[in-house]
Amino acid sequence: MSTLTTTPDSIEIGQPLPKGRSLWQLGWMRLKQDRYAIVCASIVLFYFLIALLSKLDLIASPWDMKVADSYAPPSLSEFKLWLGADIFGRSVMYKTIYGTRTAIGIGLVVTLLSIPIGVFLGAVAGYFGGWIDEIIVWFYTTLSSIPSILLLIAISYALNRGITAMYVALVSTSWIGMARVMRGEFIKHKTREYVIAADSLGASHFSKIFKHILPNVSHFIILNFSMQFMGAIKAEVILTFLGVGIQGTPSWGNMIDDAKLELARGVWWQLTGATVAMFFIILAFNILGDSLRDALDPKIK
Amino acid sequence: MGTFLVRRILGSIPIIFGVALVVFILFNIVGGDPALMMVGKHATAQQIADIRREYGLDQPLYVQFFHYLKDIITFDFGRSYATRQKISDMILNGIGPSLSLTLPAFFITTVISVILGLLVSYFRGGIIDRVAVILCVIGMSIPSLGYILFGQYYLAYELRMFPISGYDYSFPGRFEYLVLPMILWLLLSVGYDVRFYRTAMLEETTQDYVRTARAKGLSEPRVFFKHVLKNSMVPIVTNVVLEIPLLILGSFLFETFFGIPGLGSITIDALHNSDLPVIKSMAFVMSLLLIFGNIITDIVYALVDPRVKLK
Amino acid sequence: MGALKVMFNQKNFLVIVSAFSLAVTVMFTSCSKKNTLDPTNTFYTSSIAKIKGLDPAFADDLYSGIETTRIYEGLLEYEYLKRPYALRPALAEAMPVISKDGKTYTFKIKKGVLFQDDKAFKTTNGKGRELVAEDFAYSFKRLADPKLNSPMWWLLDGKIEGLNEWRESAQKAGKADYSAKVSGLKVADAATLEIKLKARSYQFIYSLAMPAMTAVAREVVEEYGPEFLNHPVGTGAFKLAEYNPSSQIVYVRNPTHRPDFYPTEGEASDQSAGLTGDAGKQVPFVDKIVMTVHVESQPLWLNFMQGKLDAAGIPKDNFAQAITTTKELTPELKNRGIQLIKEASLDVTHTSFNMTDSVVGKNKFLRQAISMAINFPEEIELFYNGRAISAQGPIPPGLAGYDEKTKNAYKEGNIEKAKALLSKAGFPDGKGLPTLDYLALSDSTARQMTEYLQKSLAAIGIQLKVQTFSWPEFQQSLKNKKGQMWSYAWSADYPDAENFLQLFYSKNAAPGPNDSNYSNPEFDRLYEKSLTQNDSAERTALYKKMSEMVMEDTPWVFGVHRVTYCLSHPWLKNYKPHEFNHGMSKYYKIDTSLRK
Repeated sequence: MSTLTTTPDSIEIGQPLPKGRSLWQLGWMRLKQDRYAIVCASIVLFYFLIALLSKLDLIASPWDMKVADSYAPPSLSEFKLWLGADIFGRSVMYKTIYGTRTAIGIGLVVTLLSIPIGVFLGAVAGYFGGWIDEIIVWFYTTLSSIPSILLLIAISYALNRGITAMYVALVSTSWIGMARVMRGEFIKHKTREYVIAADSLGASHFSKIFKHILPNVSHFIILNFSMQFMGAIKAEVILTFLGVGIQGTPSWGNMIDDAKLELARGVWWQLTGATVAMFFIILAFNILGDSLRDALDPKIK
Repeated sequence: MGTFLVRRILGSIPIIFGVALVVFILFNIVGGDPALMMVGKHATAQQIADIRREYGLDQPLYVQFFHYLKDIITFDFGRSYATRQKISDMILNGIGPSLSLTLPAFFITTVISVILGLLVSYFRGGIIDRVAVILCVIGMSIPSLGYILFGQYYLAYELRMFPISGYDYSFPGRFEYLVLPMILWLLLSVGYDVRFYRTAMLEETTQDYVRTARAKGLSEPRVFFKHVLKNSMVPIVTNVVLEIPLLILGSFLFETFFGIPGLGSITIDALHNSDLPVIKSMAFVMSLLLIFGNIITDIVYALVDPRVKLK
Repeated sequence: MGALKVMFNQKNFLVIVSAFSLAVTVMFTSCSKKNTLDPTNTFYTSSIAKIKGLDPAFADDLYSGIETTRIYEGLLEYEYLKRPYALRPALAEAMPVISKDGKTYTFKIKKGVLFQDDKAFKTTNGKGRELVAEDFAYSFKRLADPKLNSPMWWLLDGKIEGLNEWRESAQKAGKADYSAKVSGLKVADAATLEIKLKARSYQFIYSLAMPAMTAVAREVVEEYGPEFLNHPVGTGAFKLAEYNPSSQIVYVRNPTHRPDFYPTEGEASDQSAGLTGDAGKQVPFVDKIVMTVHVESQPLWLNFMQGKLDAAGIPKDNFAQAITTTKELTPELKNRGIQLIKEASLDVTHTSFNMTDSVVGKNKFLRQAISMAINFPEEIELFYNGRAISAQGPIPPGLAGYDEKTKNAYKEGNIEKAKALLSKAGFPDGKGLPTLDYLALSDSTARQMTEYLQKSLAAIGIQLKVQTFSWPEFQQSLKNKKGQMWSYAWSADYPDAENFLQLFYSKNAAPGPNDSNYSNPEFDRLYEKSLTQNDSAERTALYKKMSEMVMEDTPWVFGVHRVTYCLSHPWLKNYKPHEFNHGMSKYYKIDTSLRK
């Protein structure tokens, strides 16, 4: 390994912040003043709400009813016909909403599983160093040396496809980024005064890792969360397109895959529905990510 | 420098071993029985057994792994189960068309994205920045299929600006067919890249040297185009290396729609056909590219960033 | 471009930059338009799959079959115009003399037929040598060579006297001995081949017209070794000129092709279709064939519409652009002189039940209920644009044994009746029935079709658990008798209903082609009896009887027989789609004055 530490994932953040006005409080104050960030946060919340309502079968249920003719074009007469119908005459609007539920589900499962793994392995590797570090670094370098799309497909195939296989595949590739960042940060922080001070007061490894260092680097987790969430949503589309994705329930990937068979005959509404739905959440996550980065950046005062 | 290279190359041996191990494990439990694919719909149990013996598929896995290691060390990839062609020939024949499409497309995309990235980070927070975010996200959200179907239908068929599909092995002749896919590639990936470079450049603007430069009274454009750009080379090169697999795999859809005989569709076909020798070779070759790409990155880091020392 | 300059001030980038800028310059200066269409007498065609190579021994799929037979020829070939499909001699002087016991076929080989020139013919200084009977004995032995693992070995497996023994001794020796004699492939003299079968077979003769049974030259095979599949040298009307199996193959007319004539006999409708003008003339007519691979349907369709392909099938999704609701050409295409030809395919799609399974295999009423629940007219509209005939039994129209009047009693798409059958099966409204395992392929169309089946069965209370597979995995599951239901299509290998009925013969059970593992002693008896008979009213009656048995037992839900819609531009003459398109391109003719 080179002695390199300056990667875009791990920027140098000055000294730990003085007590009283924590990084988080400061960040929150800044975020509140950012109108764009508020709008985007509302959009994200809106998507989560839609997903929840759909999960509770309160909206867009049942999605698999025939509501119009095969490939009926969009019509403004009824909400469920706003985006027309698919090959079996099912409402594309309902499928888009159900697809939101699928997408949010994938995003949540993947981030909630991969971030703890990434944080834990990265923290342990960075904090302890030595052979533990070597093994963990070897492991993730190996995994990340295999093109991720091949790895994703291979794991999905090996686990017989379907949604569980996709979760495992996505989790096993997406923890790496988090682990890298965490390792870099822990290497930096473990020699800082506050950690040394804690050490001299007899703090255990566990307490140093989780009570002292982790809170100081936790903003990376938030940033990583929004990136991984987006990544997972987009990966679903690619995997479904390659034939290893979700079967039987609507997802944006399925809808886009269907478009391959429909666009040539002028049926554009499934593609549009899925694309527009994807557009707003990715946009919101992008702007929110920027704002969070700015708000949590200790150098900007 | 010399010792650094030797150390890095030696250091990549465990990684290469790890890659071989993971690839072997995953792809040996993946997919159907290759014997079935070779004998087709009238297969008999006898014939399947014959093929399994012929190709050593009946041997214990560790023996097969040993053979695999031997094959990759000697760069003898054998023959495809599905097409019965020599894999080294398949790779050699595919790499030209693939790179003819992806290298120029990738290069143009990178140049344009870096320029746009500089612009939007220069106008950070302003209206231009906000509009750029929206445009970038639109670019990122539209599935590649949408670009391809649309471009092929309107630009090539309706407006007859480009050939619909095809490929010409003669050297300049091939680019006539590649212009449209390159344009679509640019549209498809510029959004993501601009977002990435904007972030990377903004990190640089908060560095001390920028403040120093400003304090020296350098004009803002000069600060950006000289200091920020130069120091952003590290993340730029990192991103470029990360996208190496894309140079090969990312063109898969372009290849099938535009009839370009490249490596992307070879790999995807192999996945769909359980063509293990091809998958294993491609995965291995791409991993090697990535590993060596990373070594080159480190060298570039040292060249552009005096803070980094090679040991 | 100020930014660019600064960026590449680093001299280490100079090399890269200059390389790239060279590439970019070359790219933009080369955009000058050149005419991509060769004005000469060329047939432009396409394939929707990549070609696996041009070795007849591996030509087991439709597409490599079409390509190899542009170059290679066999003893027999299919009549181009006649329907029902019939054979005629190709490299054989005449149809074989068959001995009284039906086991010995004696062929006289045409004199003066030359292989195409190739450097492998050392004794003749690269000139192609004359074809002899020994070439066929050699070519057939190749299919039996255990080292080659030909997927077409089933054609000869257990059929020719001494050939299985030859294969076994090759297996033992680790190397095939092609000079060893096989009693069933006797070369009486240079122009006489006697094929001796182990048992009488009325289907064997069709295999002699298949791509795998064409003549290859031993010198060429041995010269190129494993690369032989990229160096085809045959006796056919065309020879290889350019070869990129994953994108484009170009053939040119073979100047030494034998005397070979356009057929003089055909169907009554051929005259009005303009197919008889060249009767008796020497073929081929075109000088060159350019075959381009188009895996996706959009580029295929757009290239056809721009006149860059001479003929094309209509992709499902372009149907509305080409065909009106009455299934005729749209005025736009008609005005361009484009022709529409409909051709029934010899195939049947089906959903198989695993008859060894304890749930679906043992309950006839359950299978009938499933068959009854599917609305086939709707399925044909949704997935085939109406281009299919609902299949009543296994035998497609066009083969002896098919009967229009026979109706399958369980294909009404009637939910009420389906529910009644399900109650009779012991699962009223699906109660007590476990979720059924359904194996599906993973492409987009298969996914939609699977959704349709799921939806149809959900209406009577049957739930499916879907597992998706790539094609080899799918086959593996079938061969291992996994899963309870799955769907795919069977296309005829030869024009005899026996090819469809053998799919229900118990001795062909998995890993053989009878993957539903249907087993019925009475069916087996009738099947074995039919094998001993030549085409006759009696055999046709047996075929119908067997059909009816499987219609009642429902080991398959019989799907559809597909109909291909082919379009051709006005300059393409003598074009008639053929189910066994082997070497047919030699009959096509281009009217160069009509091509723009």
